[in-house]
Amino acid sequence: MLSRIFKVPNPGGVIGLNRRNIEFIYPHNQRRHYILADDKVKTKMILHQNDIACAKTYAVIERISQIKAKWESLQNQSALVLKPARGCGGGGIKILKKSACGQWQSSGKTISEARIFQHITSIISGLFSMASNDVCLIEECIVPHPFFAEIYDEGVPDFRIITLKAEPLMAMLRMPTSKSDGKANLHQKGVGIGVDMDAGTLTQVYDGKRYSNHHPDNENGVFGKQIPYWPGMLELAQKTARAFPLDYLGIDLVIDKVKGPQIMEVNVRPGLGIQLVNKCGLRSTVK
Amino acid sequence: MNVPKQFKFILGGLSLLAVVTITYKAYLLSKNESSFYPDEVYKVTYRYFFKTDTSATTIKAYLPKNNSRQQISRQKSTLPGNIKFSTIADGSNIKGRWFTEAQNTYESLSYSFFFKGKSQIYGLTETFRPIPDAMDQYLESTRNIQTAALPISRLANNLKKQADTDKKTIQALFDYVHGIPSAPIITLTDALSALERNEASCNGKSRLLVALARNLGYPARIKGGIILTESNKRTSHAWAELFINGNWVPFDALNGHFAYLPANYLELYEGDEFLISHSQGIQFDYSYEITKEESLSILDEEAGETQRVTAFSLWGLVKSKTISKKNLFLLLMLPLGGLLVALLRNIVGIRTFGVFLPVLIAFSLLETGFTTGMALFLFLVLFVGLITRPFDNIGLLHTPKLVISLTLMVLVMAIGNFLGFTFDIPWLSSLTLFPTIILTISAERFSKLIVEDGMHKATGTLFQTLMAVSVCYLLFSVEGLDNILILFPELLLLIITACMILGRYVGLRWTELLRFEPLLNPKYI
Repeated sequence: MLSRIFKVPNPGGVIGLNRRNIEFIYPHNQRRHYILADDKVKTKMILHQNDIACAKTYAVIERISQIKAKWESLQNQSALVLKPARGCGGGGIKILKKSACGQWQSSGKTISEARIFQHITSIISGLFSMASNDVCLIEECIVPHPFFAEIYDEGVPDFRIITLKAEPLMAMLRMPTSKSDGKANLHQKGVGIGVDMDAGTLTQVYDGKRYSNHHPDNENGVFGKQIPYWPGMLELAQKTARAFPLDYLGIDLVIDKVKGPQIMEVNVRPGLGIQLVNKCGLRSTVK
Repeated sequence: MNVPKQFKFILGGLSLLAVVTITYKAYLLSKNESSFYPDEVYKVTYRYFFKTDTSATTIKAYLPKNNSRQQISRQKSTLPGNIKFSTIADGSNIKGRWFTEAQNTYESLSYSFFFKGKSQIYGLTETFRPIPDAMDQYLESTRNIQTAALPISRLANNLKKQADTDKKTIQALFDYVHGIPSAPIITLTDALSALERNEASCNGKSRLLVALARNLGYPARIKGGIILTESNKRTSHAWAELFINGNWVPFDALNGHFAYLPANYLELYEGDEFLISHSQGIQFDYSYEITKEESLSILDEEAGETQRVTAFSLWGLVKSKTISKKNLFLLLMLPLGGLLVALLRNIVGIRTFGVFLPVLIAFSLLETGFTTGMALFLFLVLFVGLITRPFDNIGLLHTPKLVISLTLMVLVMAIGNFLGFTFDIPWLSSLTLFPTIILTISAERFSKLIVEDGMHKATGTLFQTLMAVSVCYLLFSVEGLDNILILFPELLLLIITACMILGRYVGLRWTELLRFEPLLNPKYI
């Protein structure tokens, strides 16, 4: 009875949180280096130093007194993103675009300078970071490649590639849905789409319960769809993994319409749902 | 990342040591074959003060005997040289007799013993077996137990009419006597005057119950003793005993114990007697000094082996009153509860608010009772979690927001407590038994979880926390666990070893079996 509970047949090499922590995270990632992935400003410093493609950093605002001056220096940009450096769950991210008549807009509505300053102040005060203070990161706004729109045309989709010692193990494409409020996270009602690592093509769509061959909001089949720049993305992921002293990573990438693959962020504790999306255990991918 | 060899070695050694000492102590304990497991232990001291007369002076008092529910030990008599002490048999009772020929002197003496008692419930059959011969003395009428008096007879027969079995008859008699208002009457109350005055103390009530029972042909007698509570007192107690199916069964109509005797009843004598008697005309005063002793039911403190067992246990801390038995138990339970939560989280895979919260809540439940406690916990977390949500939307900084939650939690608890005391609602006044800070953090995390993962997942976590609390509560209510933890503190070493093993467990959690079922069950692939 007891051995039946503890010895579940697991031919696919599915790993759970216990094994992820003990065999993947603890031996490969040292806790003192977590901050390099958890703090987006530090992440981007490493990315820039290593010439890894990522959204250009326009400004880093650490103190409320810097807001006015730094903001003024950004006025020649036409689009930008405000982010908390240590935010979690995508909270506090604001995309700002200049309208034809030169006014800043957020989600299609004009936003006053005072509102923008208030948002930056909130970020610096740690409102989105479960901490007493944070840093506001202002960076280039990435324009998604039309490839994403062919699958689903809203929100912010991204690729997640898991690397172990700079070797890509598994990947998925995360897509927002009409129910996910623009977010692509699996546990926020986004969907995951499996990736054939060798062919660079999409496989099945997984919505957290069922598998299908199309995004839940339309009928366009995705199986076998070629991912643009796939070898370049793998290379970028490897390069990124080598740049960090962390050996087990979940690397998030997007494809810019013009500039191609860009690194968005890196995670030291990538989730395990990717196994379900790809119908494959992580252990079977480790050579 | 393997565990270093030396580490394994040290751990193995420690656990081996723990197992060896536990086995050795268990062996010693098993050797003293005391099968008497008391619920409560008291030290009782009789103290007598008197001035001797011009002739010889005698004082007599009943001394306790061992029986199936009480054990008496370490009797000690302290007296001046001019007083002689002897014990004498008096029917089935034992009396102590102090005798002196000293004249016109002030004397004081004491007699002490340890009492170990068990509570006992007697099961009664509906119909009683016929009474044996030689019970006449328990059926007769005496000066103070007027069995044959008309009012007694009339009442007894009236009460009997409504009952169709022996047990129901006795219950009717008992209920009647129990229903008489009790009054602290010091002078002697006989059965008849207890009935006529419709107010009585223990001796009046027990005489009335005996008279009623005897009138209907049930052999009955008065039993005398002392109710032991941590105090210095002068009152003794009396109750009735009925001879039912070959046993003398106790009935205390003053305190409502029907065929039941609590653990702290010291039985001293049978018969309608006085506990103390002394020579006429002397100045005399007395008191019973009673102290409660902490006890471990599986420990026979007199046995030689016990000394060796307790030397390597934490019992000494309790004995020396460094820490109370209850607090020590709670302290020792923390690691065990923690281990249980670790098992639930890492093997079963349930999510809980905080790691040790379930353990602490389970402690509170020991005070409030399971159902009430669970309901209160749920109410506090939900209520505070929900009423602080508007503050989330205002966009406050984390720490001040937490202080607001804490303040609200304290307010709710204080108001609940106040209402509980004002309107005498015990469950409301037990609100303050909960660990406030930890509860606040849970409520806070609950409201945050609602925002982050939605109501569904948040209530899921709350529900799973309740499950963990229930499991911890079940563990804590295991009878005798306190004894075992206090006598075998080495178990804590084994908990460390268990956690070392658990800490390296890489298997799937049970909840992950469900989550990854599509990958584990071949029929899906």
